Amino acid sequence: MEYWKDETEPIKAFLKLFEDAKSDADLHEGLKRVNQLIWFDYTENGPNCSFHVDCRGGREVKVAPGKPAEEPDLTMSLSADDAHRSWSNKLNPVMAITRKKIRVKGSATGLLKLAPKLKKVAEIYEKTLKDLGWEDRIIR
Amino acid sequence: MRYPRLNFEPFFCFSHRPRLIYAPGVRRELGYELGQLGGRRPAVFTDPGVLEAGVAELVLAAAREEGVAVAGVFADILQDARLDVINEGAAFYRSSGADSLIAVGGGSVMDTVKAINIMIGQDEEDFHNLAYQAALWEGAKALPPHLAFPTTAGTGCEVTTALVVLDGEAKVKLSVTHPYCSSDIAFLDPELTVKLPPRITAFTGMDALTHAIEGITSRGAQPVSDALGLHAIRLIFTYLPLAVREPGNIEARGHMQIAAALAGMCFGNTMTGAVHATAHALGARLGIPHGLANALMLVTVMEFNLSEVPERYRLIASAMGLETEDLTPLEAAVKAIEGVKTLKEEIGLKDTLKSSGFSGEEEELQALVELASGDGQIGYNPRYLEDEEIRKLYLNALK
Repeated sequence: MEYWKDETEPIKAFLKLFEDAKSDADLHEGLKRVNQLIWFDYTENGPNCSFHVDCRGGREVKVAPGKPAEEPDLTMSLSADDAHRSWSNKLNPVMAITRKKIRVKGSATGLLKLAPKLKKVAEIYEKTLKDLGWEDRIIR
Repeated sequence: MRYPRLNFEPFFCFSHRPRLIYAPGVRRELGYELGQLGGRRPAVFTDPGVLEAGVAELVLAAAREEGVAVAGVFADILQDARLDVINEGAAFYRSSGADSLIAVGGGSVMDTVKAINIMIGQDEEDFHNLAYQAALWEGAKALPPHLAFPTTAGTGCEVTTALVVLDGEAKVKLSVTHPYCSSDIAFLDPELTVKLPPRITAFTGMDALTHAIEGITSRGAQPVSDALGLHAIRLIFTYLPLAVREPGNIEARGHMQIAAALAGMCFGNTMTGAVHATAHALGARLGIPHGLANALMLVTVMEFNLSEVPERYRLIASAMGLETEDLTPLEAAVKAIEGVKTLKEEIGLKDTLKSSGFSGEEEELQALVELASGDGQIGYNPRYLEDEEIRKLYLNALK
């Protein structure tokens, strides 16, 4: 991996990113509207390299490491490095999909509705990385 | 004008799959080309208007002359590629014993056929889930032979790997991509477009112009697409007014078909922006034809983006044939917007959002904003938009 020392680091960063993003009312509402159980699968970088987000039922969005116990509505499979680029708003999603860097299983339309918010997510992610003492990981 | 130094993503990829064949009357090559692809019994897909105008018959006659046994003609395609019609079309293909597909029509027909072909190739019974998956690249299979005969000059979807489908029940338009869904060969035969009424010629031409302008200014812009989009604009500003004034002018019709294909190759690689996002919502909610919806939103969105990409608008103004030599980038960019307004006047496109069925009612406005803000194209707009900015775009377009 280019940005991470081991498989635990990206999950630590991404879980904190989602917890931080929940404090933004607009993003939290947007996530709730997705109304899906989503598995972000980075297991190509290690068997424990994944996390899931439960946006179902209009409740507070829940984030946890690993694959969900239930069958996810949507699985996004990619590398932890490309996920880092994506949360940094430095990954062209069309390019990534057409080169199979991102592999999608299930209905992606709900999550795609949040794509325009990636700029805001990237700002939060930058702060997340700073809070974790990983300022050197920020993609300029 | 000396070419400006422009930024683009350090890594980009340009894809183009179908072969383009251009000539007045080139439909007569259908038999040979289909045979080369291994097709023997094509199903022909079209819409009632194209059928009644006798345009589909021009292609069917070419097939007969070439000894091609057409498996059947499905002429029930409606405006927009609708999920229910796509499923019916796939069932028709399977029951007809066809081994290949021919699309004769505009964007709605060509997108419907792309979706049908994906269903056949992927052995699916219902397009609904595929439409909502959006990206169909993982495990994508090669599809049956597919020829496209565009009968409008605007959509460019004969060359793109994307399609837009309408879920009529949910009132939402969905963008879907598949690596092999474009036609194998796009036959650009201007004789198939001469019966297109001036008004539809005008707004489909504006569709092509919007593809070029949004492709050049997209966040995914890149040099190869720039070249294609800029030449499309040159052709559109020369030939669209002529095609509207003289429907039978083959030279103008042919250049417009080429322009639409160039603009399709441009935006197919860069995606578009806020014009398309807001236009998709207008199409889904109010049934406004896509090209017209683009024409209604283009100027307003260009004004919004002006300060973000003035150098790119300067290039666009220059491609329109406007003098930009002694102007600042911003002054030249303003000229590009004036250029679009002038072109709309020249081709007689006087429609407004109001005359198209939207007067600014709050409930409808809110629904439009919600759809547009979640549209896959909005993220490619050069200037970042929140819901409030999208709302203002619609309100500004009403003025």
